Amino acid sequence: MTRAGTLTGVPGLAWSDDGQATLGGPLLELAERLDRRFVALARGWEAAEVRFPPCIAAADLERIDYFRSFPHLATFPVCLDAGEDNIGRFTGGAPVGPDGHVTLTDLAPVVAVLTPAACYHLYAHHRGQRFDGAAYFTTRATCFRRETHYLPLERQWSFAMREIVCLGTSGETRAFLDRATSEVDALAIELGLPLAWAPATDPFFRPSRNPKYLMQQVDPTKHELVFDDGLAVASTNLHHDHFGRAFDITRAAHPGDAPQPVHSACVAFGIERWLATVVRHLGPDPGDWPPVGP
Amino acid sequence: MKPLSEEEVRHALRDWVRRRSAVEVPETFDDHTPLITNRYLTSLQVADLLLYVEELRGESLDPASLRPGVFRDIDTIYTTFIGGGA
Repeated sequence: MTRAGTLTGVPGLAWSDDGQATLGGPLLELAERLDRRFVALARGWEAAEVRFPPCIAAADLERIDYFRSFPHLATFPVCLDAGEDNIGRFTGGAPVGPDGHVTLTDLAPVVAVLTPAACYHLYAHHRGQRFDGAAYFTTRATCFRRETHYLPLERQWSFAMREIVCLGTSGETRAFLDRATSEVDALAIELGLPLAWAPATDPFFRPSRNPKYLMQQVDPTKHELVFDDGLAVASTNLHHDHFGRAFDITRAAHPGDAPQPVHSACVAFGIERWLATVVRHLGPDPGDWPPVGP
Repeated sequence: MKPLSEEEVRHALRDWVRRRSAVEVPETFDDHTPLITNRYLTSLQVADLLLYVEELRGESLDPASLRPGVFRDIDTIYTTFIGGGA
């Protein structure tokens, strides 16, 4: 099945036009089996599993220049100012209009962002820490990215992302990505999915004016695993010491060496996009889907 | 103004990297030392390096035309943008 058209009529999928999917039945079962398979990959590095809350501090994203790089993707959780008069004004009006828009009164300061990428939490979580060896983690998060348009399972406002992260030296992070690439290739073959790696850049705001985009052009640090020349179901990302410097996370390459900013790398899986690939390639009948063992 | 010789351009590029690197550049730094792998060149400096290369070659570069690896080391920068006339 090619990628033409929107995925509809998939058993267990309910779609909301605001870009969110509800999963049930065999589709949810496949999503869970795929995630367990990704976790099994992570166990190959003895990665420690961590589960983070759905919001991340805006101050932490500011440290990595997120708001200049990806402001168009951010979703902010907002709360009403707690003053009784303010809340009274909110309830006294029409809180939600016929168009579905909320009529907000005064807002409390916005201090957080709904998680845009699962691994960001890890760097903030380990701020100020020193590692004496390579460290591996895995986490799964519901991520939020505001987009100009949405497609069921393929481009969603909220979606599940599983990541495996390496914190180490430059050599350790490169070795991690080499091995991750080859293991994910093996998984794609095992599942019978025609996927191929391709260099990619992140979706920067006004990319031609962003030095990080320029840097990704001359030093490709992101590769995507792509289905049918378009849908990226996973990515590998080499961050160099970007997050190590931002959060003062350090690593001594050898005992006795001065600690240096840690390097990091991650492999990320967009779980709904794997579902989309299975359905597009093998069809909507769950009987045709691959068994995904742990 | 007299054009710079190849060695003068290479020296100018090495000097630029030494001055602008956020990490200490060792004495062993030469035209084949990896700039990005060693973090002598990061996204903080890459736009300024592009401007400096334009100044050295005397004409502008289209950022969209940049290809992977062109800022790998001084030798590659010289060969790609100045000696090779890209």
